[in-house]
Amino acid sequence: MKRRLALLFVFLFAATSATPARAEDGGLKLPPFKKVKLQNGLTVMLMEQHEVPIISFNFIIKAGAVADPPGKEGLASLTAGLLRKGTRSRSADQMASELDFVGGTMDAAADYDYSNGFAEFVKKDIGKGLDLFSDALLNAAFPPEEVTKMLKQRADAIKAAKDQPRAVINNYFNAYLYGNHPYARPDNGDERSLAAITRDDVLKFYQSYYAPGAAILAVVGDFNTAEMERMLADKFGAWSGKATAAASVPEAVPFAGKKLLLIDKPDATQTFYQIGNVGITRTNPDRIYVQVINTLFGGRFTSMLNSALRIQSGLTYGARSSFTQRLAAGPFAISTFTPNATTEKAMDMTLDVLKRLHEKGITEEELKSAKSYLKGQFPPTIETSDQLAALLTQLEFYGLDESDVNNYYAKIDSMTMNDATRVIKQYFPMDNLVFVLIGKASDIQEVAKKYAPKVDAKSINQPGF
Amino acid sequence: MKPFVKAITACLVMLVFAAFAAEARAQAFDVKTQTLKNGLKILVQEDHSIPNATMYIFYRIGSRNERPGTTGLSHFFEHMMFNGAKKYGPGEFDRVMEAAGGSNNAYTNNDVTVYQDWFPSATLDLIFDLEADRIQNLSFDPKIIESERGVVANERRLSVDNSTFGTLYEQLSATAYTAHPYQWPVVGWMVDIQNWKMEDLKRHFEMGYSPSNATMVVCGDVSADNVFKLAEKYIAPIVSHTPPPPVTTQEPEQQGERRLVVKKFAQLPLLLIGYHVPQTASNEYYALQVLKTILFAGQSSRMYQRLVDKDQLAIAVDSNLEFAFDPTLFLVIAQPKAGVATTAVERAIYDELDKAKTQMVTDQEIAKAKNILLANFYREMKTISGRANTLGSYEVFFGDYRKLFDAAQEYNKVTQDDVRRVAGKYFGDMNRTVATLVPETGAEGQGAGAGEKK
Repeated sequence: MKRRLALLFVFLFAATSATPARAEDGGLKLPPFKKVKLQNGLTVMLMEQHEVPIISFNFIIKAGAVADPPGKEGLASLTAGLLRKGTRSRSADQMASELDFVGGTMDAAADYDYSNGFAEFVKKDIGKGLDLFSDALLNAAFPPEEVTKMLKQRADAIKAAKDQPRAVINNYFNAYLYGNHPYARPDNGDERSLAAITRDDVLKFYQSYYAPGAAILAVVGDFNTAEMERMLADKFGAWSGKATAAASVPEAVPFAGKKLLLIDKPDATQTFYQIGNVGITRTNPDRIYVQVINTLFGGRFTSMLNSALRIQSGLTYGARSSFTQRLAAGPFAISTFTPNATTEKAMDMTLDVLKRLHEKGITEEELKSAKSYLKGQFPPTIETSDQLAALLTQLEFYGLDESDVNNYYAKIDSMTMNDATRVIKQYFPMDNLVFVLIGKASDIQEVAKKYAPKVDAKSINQPGF
Repeated sequence: MKPFVKAITACLVMLVFAAFAAEARAQAFDVKTQTLKNGLKILVQEDHSIPNATMYIFYRIGSRNERPGTTGLSHFFEHMMFNGAKKYGPGEFDRVMEAAGGSNNAYTNNDVTVYQDWFPSATLDLIFDLEADRIQNLSFDPKIIESERGVVANERRLSVDNSTFGTLYEQLSATAYTAHPYQWPVVGWMVDIQNWKMEDLKRHFEMGYSPSNATMVVCGDVSADNVFKLAEKYIAPIVSHTPPPPVTTQEPEQQGERRLVVKKFAQLPLLLIGYHVPQTASNEYYALQVLKTILFAGQSSRMYQRLVDKDQLAIAVDSNLEFAFDPTLFLVIAQPKAGVATTAVERAIYDELDKAKTQMVTDQEIAKAKNILLANFYREMKTISGRANTLGSYEVFFGDYRKLFDAAQEYNKVTQDDVRRVAGKYFGDMNRTVATLVPETGAEGQGAGAGEKK
């Protein structure tokens, strides 16, 4: 029963993290951390945080869903999910029992650009925790029955997700927006691709990509750095193997023109829709300026979109926009939902708000407000040990460093009204738009035709996205 | 902080942060308290690790204080609290707070309405000014009420109509309770949402929004002295009035299993089972939490092992037990696999519950549960928000925030026999309500999943 949908700042950092130290100038500094490269090539980062007796790990393997073989989408994610499901010396049950006994958490999944995992333990159990964590990562055995089990579970999970439009609209939007680009492919697979994956595929993926030279490990929490360094060297020093380099991600080009996909869900009482195009990369030099404009456009409660569609008209419970940042340009998407009968009104209003952004721009006062908001809301995103560990691995993966955090306030402050005008024109699509709607087709298919010369249709019960 | 998709679709909104073990006592945070003359109690926990602070205000009013015909009023009122007062007019609360670097939200449940502000600590004075204005001088503009009615109707469509869990959970509550107000949805029935009157809102405000009916928690980069000083300045002048009348209705003992079915367009069925259990402040709370942890927490839990791993009947199984003033439901949620009958899932769940009733859990399981509860406690304490919510919840639901620091001891006292006893007492067929969502693959409407029907 939340008053509002939490706005999702996907674009901030693909995640974020850490308990920041304050800087003299009122800015923030990432707390000090040590970065070492083990002899086997593993990059390790260590940051002490003593507030709560907890230690958090985060790792990245430099191959994600983009490395899935065609027709076997979901393989990277499945491989990551299976890491804790049995090793050379522990069954899945043993792993679960030992992990739960110390109140630990551990799991992994794949994003498009990389595979990513975490583990977290209470300080007193760190010896046991590190043993379990390193065993899963280094010695995963992928027992055949566990592979079969998880494949079935994941196929059913897709069916269950399709019963909730909000759980799947991103998948449909990515698939429709990106066409032949790998970002179109479902990162957790679909009904068909999961049926095609075998244990050999999993073994091959693991052997090809899980190697120290292609891995990044961060540990943050209540420990002594020298001691932790020794423990990590002990557990990960003997990790060997050479990684196959993951295929590079091709450049993503915005869709030219307009197209619309309508997914029929005949019981829907609301139309869920996304409108957008290809956005920006994680390393785009304008990314913080884009974030400032997006804050005003659809990134917070009083944004232009939410003001129009919710606060002033009551057409929805929440409207927002976001830029997801990746190696290649990730999606920019406006998302909201409205009753079937007000679909046209809400979509027209959405496009009007976008038009207004381009025609009227923003005011000095709004620019100031957005800057203040982003700065004020930033510290809690780097408050905890798990947030910090995730931030460290991502900065390393994208070739960034602590200046990304330490210069964040200064970069925000540097933005001018001229920058705002340029950024709106350059990064917010206007004439080239991709529309994806999930709703009751018999109610809204006529309305849908109004927005694009090309209208595609499918049913939510059809396999795939 | 709260991902868009997870907010409602992920079935389990866990309000239950209880946890711990021996170390938790040593880990007690230094909390300073003060009660204003008008009755508002304030808790402050200083933490200077980030230059931010958070303010949570708990009002002891929720859907249990409503009546048939105006269900959902507490939640609607929560929305109206953001729509303008005397000093800060319509839209100003959010505009001013965001321009100062702050953000806010709120939640309503059966028992309480909670307002949350997250802000740079330098803006504490402004936050007090904003809160005091709306507590004291909320305005009731008919036009804004109509617009907000639409927002809430859309929230209901989202979280109930277009969610298999939301639909089923609403029906489960409506069936499990026959007398007690926990029977109606927090968001309200659609027809009630459409029919609230201005007088209803005003009456609700007067009933629930007295300082004496609230607890304020401030955590983060503040000094307690300054918080108390500002509270004296902004909140103390607000006059208290009569708090809501006590809710006297008690749910009569259930005398036999209740079953219900919801037919809905869906690909997979869904199963919810509710058992009546005592309120949070009951002395059986801790034993129930230990039992819940043994049965449901982690992949080594009994239910996961049985339903997901061994018998492979479900893709997920979980439970929920929310803080509650009155006797509440212990909820079991299972997502059956495709092609598996919900009755088979039910049988496996009952079988595991029967084992807990007839055989002692092991020492190892008790120890594991305590470790998990302790680790969860630390996780909740990682953020200033988590601390504010947990301190406030303990103060409100246990009657004293210090119970939080006793929880470790309380859990340590729980024995195998206690666990078997509460299992036997509450997990019987006479005491359960079973809700099943039966998929319909779309007789009406076009293009409904050709070839995909099962």
